[in-house]
Amino acid sequence: MILWRAGLRYLLRHPLQLLFAVIGVALGVGVVVAIDLANSSANKAFSLSAEAVSGRTSHQVIGGPAGVPEEIYRRIRLAPILFDSAPVIEGLATVTHKPGLTLRILGLDPFAEGPFRDYSPGIGRDSEFSRLLTEPGSIMLSAATAGELELRPDMQMTLQIGGKQRSVTLVGLLEAPDQLSSQALRNLIITDIATAQELLEQFGRLTRIDLILPTGAAEDRALQQLQPYLQPGVDVVRADQRRQSMAQMTRAFQLNLSALSMLALVVGMFLIYNTMTFSVVQRRPLLGALRTLGVTRHEIVRLVLVEALLVGAAGTLLGLLLGVLLANGLLTLVTRTINDLYFVLNVRSLSLTPLALAKGLLLGLGATLVAALVPALEAGRTAPRSVLSRSHIEGRGRRLLPWAVAVGSGLMVLSLIGLLLPGNSIVVGFICMFMLISGYALITPGLAIWLLKGLQAPLKTCFGLLGKMAVRNLVAGLSRTGVATAALVIAVAATIGVGLMISSFRVTVDNWLHSYLSADIYITTQGDDFDAGRVPLEPELLARLDQVAGIDSITRARHLRLEDAHGISELFVAEIPEESFAGYWFVDGDRQQIYREFKNSRAVIVSEPFAYRRDLKRGDVLPLRTQLGEQEFRIAGVFTDYGSDQGRITIARSLYQQYWSAPQTDALGIYLQDTAETEQLVRQLRNLAADIQPLMVYSNRDLRAASLATFDRTFAVTSVLRILAVLVAFVGILNALMAMQIERSRELAVLRAGGLTPQQLWLLVTGETGLIGLLAGLLALPLGIAQALMLILVINRRSFGWSMGIQLDPSILFQALLLALIAAVLAGLYPAWRMAQTQPAQALRDE
Amino acid sequence: MIRINTYWSIVAVCCLGFLLAACQDPGPSSRGTSAGLNVAEILGSEDHDGFARAIRPQSFEFPRDHGPHHAFRTEWWYYTGNLQNDDGRRFGYQLTFFRQALQPDSVPRQSAWASNQVYLAHFALSDPANDNFYYAERFSRAGLGLAGATAEPFNVWLEDWSAGGSGDATLPMQLRADSGEVAIALELDSSKPFVLQGQQGLSQKSAEPGNASYYYSLTRMPTTGQISIAGNSHQVTGSSWLDREWSTSALGPDQVGWDWFSLQFDDDRELMYYQLRLKDGQPDPLSSGVLVAENGKTTPLGAADVRIDVLDYWTSPHSGGRYPARWRLQIPAAQLNLEIIPLMADQELQTSVRYWEGAVFVQGTRGQNTIRGYGYVELTGYDKEL
Repeated sequence: MILWRAGLRYLLRHPLQLLFAVIGVALGVGVVVAIDLANSSANKAFSLSAEAVSGRTSHQVIGGPAGVPEEIYRRIRLAPILFDSAPVIEGLATVTHKPGLTLRILGLDPFAEGPFRDYSPGIGRDSEFSRLLTEPGSIMLSAATAGELELRPDMQMTLQIGGKQRSVTLVGLLEAPDQLSSQALRNLIITDIATAQELLEQFGRLTRIDLILPTGAAEDRALQQLQPYLQPGVDVVRADQRRQSMAQMTRAFQLNLSALSMLALVVGMFLIYNTMTFSVVQRRPLLGALRTLGVTRHEIVRLVLVEALLVGAAGTLLGLLLGVLLANGLLTLVTRTINDLYFVLNVRSLSLTPLALAKGLLLGLGATLVAALVPALEAGRTAPRSVLSRSHIEGRGRRLLPWAVAVGSGLMVLSLIGLLLPGNSIVVGFICMFMLISGYALITPGLAIWLLKGLQAPLKTCFGLLGKMAVRNLVAGLSRTGVATAALVIAVAATIGVGLMISSFRVTVDNWLHSYLSADIYITTQGDDFDAGRVPLEPELLARLDQVAGIDSITRARHLRLEDAHGISELFVAEIPEESFAGYWFVDGDRQQIYREFKNSRAVIVSEPFAYRRDLKRGDVLPLRTQLGEQEFRIAGVFTDYGSDQGRITIARSLYQQYWSAPQTDALGIYLQDTAETEQLVRQLRNLAADIQPLMVYSNRDLRAASLATFDRTFAVTSVLRILAVLVAFVGILNALMAMQIERSRELAVLRAGGLTPQQLWLLVTGETGLIGLLAGLLALPLGIAQALMLILVINRRSFGWSMGIQLDPSILFQALLLALIAAVLAGLYPAWRMAQTQPAQALRDE
Repeated sequence: MIRINTYWSIVAVCCLGFLLAACQDPGPSSRGTSAGLNVAEILGSEDHDGFARAIRPQSFEFPRDHGPHHAFRTEWWYYTGNLQNDDGRRFGYQLTFFRQALQPDSVPRQSAWASNQVYLAHFALSDPANDNFYYAERFSRAGLGLAGATAEPFNVWLEDWSAGGSGDATLPMQLRADSGEVAIALELDSSKPFVLQGQQGLSQKSAEPGNASYYYSLTRMPTTGQISIAGNSHQVTGSSWLDREWSTSALGPDQVGWDWFSLQFDDDRELMYYQLRLKDGQPDPLSSGVLVAENGKTTPLGAADVRIDVLDYWTSPHSGGRYPARWRLQIPAAQLNLEIIPLMADQELQTSVRYWEGAVFVQGTRGQNTIRGYGYVELTGYDKEL
């Protein structure tokens, strides 16, 4: 009992230290929980909406870029085939009176739906059903969605679909049988399939045909039975496979976020470790006294662990709260990125599962226990006799130093070997990165001493005795400074690594856009983003363009979605003049030869992410489902592309025409005779189209800016994580250094008594902490750069297939140094102020 | 025949339940979705504006009238028949196509799926030797050619179930249906001229003018072809019956259901009689029927001409509904005294509307002569929930 009270008293007498440790854990746990919640909410929203859309579908008939001809559905239904089938048309719409809200249009045939999907509109009045089928523009919504849109039955709203305004009427509300379906129905517009075709202008075509086929051997029979009714360019895929490959698309992105959030927790662990080590060091006399009084080692270990757990529990609980709050903000950012990079996903609410919270709780407490284990064992090992000397522990620490350096170096070497091994596992990449970080952390104290010793002489020259004293103090207090420095280094390095990665990426993308975008003006149909499958341009508009003076040439392009068992990619059908082709960056091969092949033979060029994902290289053969059946296309080259993470296949317009039907056009590149007239022509083109079709007309510069804006939006979540890591680091530094200085009260009092003026004391204390800050900042640079390299060369490549140039932006390095320094100096202020206020005599008496 | 007017109302309501599994699931496990729905209420609430009404007799014209009558809300092609294979094993079948207009006018629309016409089909097969009753139900819109009807050449279809003529000729008719478990492929000829029911084909169903249908029948259709049950196929011959009827409204507020008889006797005569039941359990005075002679000459029957006594009941283990299961039917003026016995008890269709539609055996006397025959009986409104 007395033991516990001793522990409690100690904690309470050091409230600041306690507070910072709690905050450290809270931040670490908070960030991890927030990312976890944001990720799992996004995943849940995805699987819910996928489920809502696919229901009990086992297989799907999918087609080429234009979807599935509806004739195939008719043939299947009129055939003596006895498994269930249902036509589906999907599309997206935005709501005029609710900007920023994207709804999914799901066009279904109610007569075929029975076996597939479960939601139903209210039974009672047959007029709803009849109107849905017979009145153009009739839609149904879930009651919740209708509420959000402030719609009641019989009210109209205007949708923006592919840049066109469409008026629709709510004829009834869908009733979800349960909570889950009602969530799934959010943001879903259910219409009759005829209405969907009209709204989306998909006449004669379906997005897909859903099937419910038997399983086992009967599945193959059913597939065979189906075969005669299909046609070239149309394929049957398993629905779960398709859903998985969709879900896979975001996996790498989410894994990256999780790994980055773990960094925050690692820093938090260092904080706990630091706090507990410190408390053990400080209480040596007490612990020794307890041991002489007969308290066993086990009891001491338990005491320290329980203390740590108390701190950890408080921090974790706070962290969970913080995590939930943070998650709300992060969710928006995560969803944004998913929308920009992958597919439209509406995540409205955070799904707070007990599992996610339990995970956070376990992680927080587990990390605390692990971090406190070493100091606890250390405390337990204390021999009653050696108690009273701190030099004993410092001596031990120094003896351990070579070991730490050896183990640390070993870990770093292992990490390098791991990275050099062939393979492209993202998880292995992250494990290597964490090994590198831990290894570096272990050698940090050694490096710090080495650096400090080097600094001793110059500081003595500059600041005299005080300068030398500061350095010696730090070296002597290794057990405290070492860990604090390591924590600081890790935190600062993380900000450097992520910062450098983002800036390198941005510079690369900017350069790429410069090179890749060669036309003077770009025109595309209006849409939410630059997604594939957008509405084509009206032929009349193209005719009018011919009349415009000042245009040198026009290239036509079409963005299509191509889906197969591996997932969805973009098929970019383009006319690329040789001058523009020069703007493409190819991974290897001779550009001119690639161009010849692309232009004249059955060849395509594919983007780097696509090649990486499918494990393809230049010269390989890529089978594509065309309207003449599956055809093999040679890969003439692999080009750098940051426009689409899903991957892009670029095919010459003339070649496309041979294997598919004549493509429509949804984007134009316009080359001007005189680029000085760009702005004027942009205005002219906008007016030209005003009465035909809403268009987006960009000058080269505008499009580049818009693309970079999208880029920044995509990385917003990563930047926020970086800032959070900085915050944790900041608290860590404050905690460690402040504690160290407060603990030195007595020593400083002796110095004061010995004639040190308050000003000199200020200088000594802030000088010491500043020195540590500077040291940590410097030591963080190599680790930060190494981390950036790993992120750029390994993690990003493995996750997304992106390669990018390496830019060591000095401002990021400088910022990191500054961060470390400022935090460290701030950490010295309070203790310095306190000591300067205190009478030396009192300080001596107190302790 | 009124028969199926309810189906339509309820089909609409059922499909309204958009994705209700019961609409499609043909299996015996299918849930009835008509729970709590009252036939009369549904019909009463319908708005007939824009639809044609059957108010006065009109002249029938063929082959035009084999085809659809889109001006009317509801229409059906109703085939039933009794068959036997070479060993004398008996089967009954029912194949029915219903058309329902959701709106009187169709708006011109660009999508090929758009249609204001909806089709429903029921297919049932009775195998009394094994006491098995099979049935299936299908729905479809008329859009995209998934279902529809044409007069020339005669064809009515819902996906791969169909009834059509032979080439340009209406007769013989070809019937095709396959539910997976059972299938039929039959050829139906006709040995008698069309029978115009009611008053020259105008069949009044309740007092309000317009609550009537145009109604004709082919009462004896020699049938040959194949049926298959669980992969075993049988060559069959027998006799079928076709009822064609179109209307916009029929039932009055007091009517709860009906018992409908179509009987083919071995003396080459036929009897059709439907008895409408009122809420108080009494037969409606508008109940009516017809006797068809060997040469096709018809004798109309009114409620006063026919006396029906129920001799037995059967309670459905599926729905709990209690159905009449044996009848004595007497028509004193025609000296007919008949006993009607179902070939098997359980011929209840658990479709979106539950009803009993089954093959029956009939025996009795016409004057001094003993007569026998087979036929079909339909019983609606016995569903427990109704």
